[in-house]
Amino acid sequence: MAEYDLTQTIIPYLDRHLAFPLLTHLTETMLFPVEQIIKAQYELTKGTNMVDYSLSLFEQLYPDAEIPPQFAAKRDSVVSTNDRLAQEAQSVLEIIEKPEVAQALRQDKRQNLQYLKDHYGLTLEQITVLYKFGQFQYACGNYSGTADYLYHFRVLSTDSDLNLSAHWGKLASDILTGKWSVALEELGSLRDLIDSRSSSSSSSTANLTGAPGSEVASALTQLQARTWLLHWSLFVYFNHPEGRTLMLETFLSPSYLNTIQTSCPWILRYLAVAAIVSRKASTSGRLRHAIREVVKVIQMEEYQYTDPITNFLKELYLDFDFEGAQRELSKAEKIVGDDFFLGSFADEFLDNARYLISEAYCRIHQRIDIARANGRYSDLSERLNLSREEGEKWIVNLIRDTRMGADARIDLEKNVIEINRPALPVYQSVIEKTRGLAFRTQALGAAMGKAGQIDIVENGTTVGDGDAR
Amino acid sequence: MSRFFKSLGDSDSDTEDSEEELLTSGDDEPTVPAQKAPVRGMARFLKSKPGESASSDSSDESDEDSDDEVPKPTRKLPPWKGGQEEDSDEDERGPVVIVSAKDKRLREMEATAKTIENAQKISDWVVASTEFDKFVRLVQRQVNLTERAPSFFIRTLVGLEETVANAIAKEKDTKKKLNAIHARALNGMRQKIKKLMKENENDVKNFQEDPEGFEREYAATTAALEPAPIQKAPKATAEEGEEEEAGGFISVGKGGKALGITPDTVFKNLQTVHESRGKKNTDRAIQIQILERLLQVAATTYQRIRILLALISSRFDYNSSVSTHMPIGLWLSCQSEVDQLINIVTDDSAYSVQEVTEDYDEWAERSPSQEKDGVVRIRGSIISFIDRLDDEFTKSLQNIDPHGTEYVDRLKDEKGLYATICRAQAFYEKSKQSDPLARVVMRRLEHIYSKPDAVIQALEQSAVQSQVLPSMTLSIQRTSSALIHSLCVSLYKSDNSFLRTRAMLCHIYHYALANEFYTARDMMLMSHLQESVHAADVATQILYNRTVVQLGLCAFRKGLIREAQATLQDIFATQRVKELLAQGVHQQRYQTINPEQEKADRQRQLPFHMHINTELLEAAFLVSSMLVEIPLLASIDNEELKRKAISKPFRRLLDFADRQVFTGPPETTRDHIMQASKALQEGDWEKCRDLIQSIKIWSLMPEAQSVKEMLAKRIQEEGLRTYLFTYAPHYSTLSLSLLSSTFSLTIRSVTSIISKMIWNEELSASLDQSSGVVVFHRIEATKTQQLAQSLADKLGALIEQNEKALDAKLGANIAWNERTDGTKQEKRTGDQTAERRRNGERKGGTAARSTRGRGARFAQGLGQAAPRTRLAA
Repeated sequence: MAEYDLTQTIIPYLDRHLAFPLLTHLTETMLFPVEQIIKAQYELTKGTNMVDYSLSLFEQLYPDAEIPPQFAAKRDSVVSTNDRLAQEAQSVLEIIEKPEVAQALRQDKRQNLQYLKDHYGLTLEQITVLYKFGQFQYACGNYSGTADYLYHFRVLSTDSDLNLSAHWGKLASDILTGKWSVALEELGSLRDLIDSRSSSSSSSTANLTGAPGSEVASALTQLQARTWLLHWSLFVYFNHPEGRTLMLETFLSPSYLNTIQTSCPWILRYLAVAAIVSRKASTSGRLRHAIREVVKVIQMEEYQYTDPITNFLKELYLDFDFEGAQRELSKAEKIVGDDFFLGSFADEFLDNARYLISEAYCRIHQRIDIARANGRYSDLSERLNLSREEGEKWIVNLIRDTRMGADARIDLEKNVIEINRPALPVYQSVIEKTRGLAFRTQALGAAMGKAGQIDIVENGTTVGDGDAR
Repeated sequence: MSRFFKSLGDSDSDTEDSEEELLTSGDDEPTVPAQKAPVRGMARFLKSKPGESASSDSSDESDEDSDDEVPKPTRKLPPWKGGQEEDSDEDERGPVVIVSAKDKRLREMEATAKTIENAQKISDWVVASTEFDKFVRLVQRQVNLTERAPSFFIRTLVGLEETVANAIAKEKDTKKKLNAIHARALNGMRQKIKKLMKENENDVKNFQEDPEGFEREYAATTAALEPAPIQKAPKATAEEGEEEEAGGFISVGKGGKALGITPDTVFKNLQTVHESRGKKNTDRAIQIQILERLLQVAATTYQRIRILLALISSRFDYNSSVSTHMPIGLWLSCQSEVDQLINIVTDDSAYSVQEVTEDYDEWAERSPSQEKDGVVRIRGSIISFIDRLDDEFTKSLQNIDPHGTEYVDRLKDEKGLYATICRAQAFYEKSKQSDPLARVVMRRLEHIYSKPDAVIQALEQSAVQSQVLPSMTLSIQRTSSALIHSLCVSLYKSDNSFLRTRAMLCHIYHYALANEFYTARDMMLMSHLQESVHAADVATQILYNRTVVQLGLCAFRKGLIREAQATLQDIFATQRVKELLAQGVHQQRYQTINPEQEKADRQRQLPFHMHINTELLEAAFLVSSMLVEIPLLASIDNEELKRKAISKPFRRLLDFADRQVFTGPPETTRDHIMQASKALQEGDWEKCRDLIQSIKIWSLMPEAQSVKEMLAKRIQEEGLRTYLFTYAPHYSTLSLSLLSSTFSLTIRSVTSIISKMIWNEELSASLDQSSGVVVFHRIEATKTQQLAQSLADKLGALIEQNEKALDAKLGANIAWNERTDGTKQEKRTGDQTAERRRNGERKGGTAARSTRGRGARFAQGLGQAAPRTRLAA
């Protein structure tokens, strides 16, 4: 199963520190020799300030070797830097945390800065110390501290590059401390930041025939930022209770879907699992069709990326090869279990995948044999990898749960399930088709009204979403 | 036309040019380029007859030719009677009198001088002015032929100056003696004289000081040279060889004047050539000849570079007309000279040829030691030579009949050309000139991008033989695609957006040729070229079309029928495939094309070996259309929907075939495909397969066998689908095993296909697992119900149209529709457009298709990944 392991593919897109949990997870799954993993971990820690951790790894790796002197030297330098930065940062924090200061701070950052400078002699350089200290703390592995410092820094700083960097840092710290809801917020704001940064440049779509330079560069930076965001967000989405639904919403939006297709098709695995797992949860909107969309993308990207999970969806919805789907499912089950992000969803995934198989199966078939074990068409329970009794129970549940409801009956005498789906009456399809028309027209009207407004106001800043709803 | 008329007439006419060539052709003889010799000889032979017998029709041409054919050592000049009468004069005098070209010119000049004098006397300034113009022209020609201006020219000039000055002075006194025309002529003449006086300053001075002495001196110089033509004629044929033996330092020039071709006079001669370049009466062949000799004697590197630069330019100048191509012999020597030039500058880094240099004395020797930084910079442009050489090569291929052996022979020269280009690339890489480097790399790329591996290997081999190697060669890059990749990548880095676009297209083309469909498609989509190609120049548009077509063929070979169909669709919808690919000129039925446009069209045509076979293209397009369209056609039972075709050209052909009362055995590719389509409609997939496979043109496709097998498989599948669509209403159940045996597909794939149709709601049926049959559920809708449904469809389409219109109006930056994503409307325009571009399911597709324009369809077809075009957003 090691060939389907994505850890190596994903790590280049993660922060050094974010890779630790992944590697630790690998030691548990035993896919790779422990030796190698510890070595990798050791290599990772070398770039950080986590001297003690690094040392312990070194000892694990080379139990007999002597401890090289640079460890001690590094520790000293780290401690001294820490003290220095801590002092500087402390002075800044003291000022900021004064209640009267907190009250005096407003929305306008420039004004705040002026205020602080006038009253407390706090300069921009001093504020930047917060950033530096935050970064240092992060390198040391003190993530919660980092989050605090970076938060304060962001409130005050006007430097957009550093701010963006602080955003990333805060997100990483939140992820590493496991504050998922905070991380989710952070993720949202970071996403807005990335998207808004580009929209200014994307208006003049960087095409190759035009001048290259900054436009292409910015488009590239954006693509890169989005790729990172996609990878980092996996931590959040697969740990936050609402994560999967939100993930589908984000990942299926055109710009992120494009990013996935262009630079990191392996994310499709996570997207596919999220779509399967949140089958029931997604009751509204486009999410109901998430699976269909994911299948489309999988088909498109087949030449770039396949794994048993995507193959499962492909077999099921494109080739309608139920046996093939079953085969892939059993492989996929293992992979999902081993995956760092998906591990906890293995059961849920299996349940939902089974459901999908049976739903598709029942929709296509009119009569299904429960008991025939040796025929050309093996029975449904076998397809689902269940024993006969379990299968029957499963089917009953299925009939009870699903939309086909009243139309399916189990005939135990003949050992078949009869499924009767009367065709949709004509009037219903007409209603279905015309349902949205009024609303859509309304939206059109609203948009036109708004367009007029914008023309008048001209600065276009009034685009709120209030009046359209 | 007699000379008299001509000299009076419009001197710009082409006839004079050609005549000029003829006039001097006799003198050219010794060094006329080798391949021309027999032709010339023949002409002369034919012509010399009237000259020898000097029959009554003594035209100018025969006159001139006879001059060299029949040398007259002691020439009796006939008494001069006047230029106007010259022709008749000769007629009267009969066959005996033969005048040498030079003498004739002299006589003419004298006559003109006389006329001017007469006109002056009677103050007819108009006549005087025209005659003077003629006179100057004649003298100029004389000078051009490296002869000295006759003494009486100077005399006349000096005399004229006086009279004109007097006349003007007089006119000023009397205020109104001359009318406007005369006054203007007088003034014009004065200007010209002033100019000429300046030009011939030295002679004029000599003359003014000592008129008689001047006359004498002139007579002496001419007399000394007089015997020259006598010597020359007998050894005319042997001269070339003789000269080589003698070291070629003393040679005989035009009109019997010795050309001092020695290393010392190189610059003087070069200057003469330079000055006469581009002038009307210059004989280009002679120029080339002089330069060639100069090259032989050139002593220093600097001289050689200078001469080579001049020589190559004059070779290119040789052919003045745009429509014809350069003679091949000339081209070959030109190519070798470019090679020489590149070698010199590559070997000796103390010399550099640049387009922009500081000013320097053109006619003095320069050496690296004299220069400030030890590098001699010479004005010139190697890259433009390469460009021109390449263009001339293409032009010659355009003009040669592609079915003859000559074409193949010519094509062999590509090796040499390619080697030259590589050499130039190496040179520019060494000298780090990025702009010409990019251009030369582009030239190289254009030679190989559309060629199969074997040809690229051959070309590369020839390039490798030279001593200087560019940084990218096949031997370094191993595979040809790696070579092309590295060439393209180096071009992507250039600043020239035009080159980048072309490099991108070539790259895509090559990928498509190598069957790397996905890579090619992704590059195509990410390049965003389809949005901007309309604004590009025609050559790039042609390249774009070629690339698109090649992409379609690639998809076809890979068995991606839908993609192939959609990609080729756009090109075929125009019905001008050949024109769009620059492989032929379109016959305009309703409008006449103006000649310039036609000429431009012809110049754009690709040489034959670059063509993409249009018949193969059409076969691929029609077959993929058949596979897409026939099942679709079968699935639609509504007359109205039937009219909406995916592939209009295919549908048109099919309708036409349907109307035919009698159908014979298929002959053309189209016949084959049409009959195959009909067979497919009837569910006779075997016949369909046989017909398609018997199309001969497939043999031109690489991997023809596997393509045929792929097609057979597709036909089976689509045959099954068509069958189900067509005959479903007549069955309530169908056995799966029967279907599988009828279409020789496995039961598994039959089940899979049917399941897919059921799932996509194309077929209202379900499978009965226990008895192994398909059960069809058919509901007959009443008329009212049908109408209601179609009304609902139309309403949906209407709304969609409105939304699209609003989208277009507001532009992409205001995403008014994004907001509604979260609501219960499942399909919003935002992703609808994206969805529509993908190969949507048929269900949604039919509705959307009606509203889709032709342009959008292309995007949809190019692949399901079309939404990726938004990537950069």
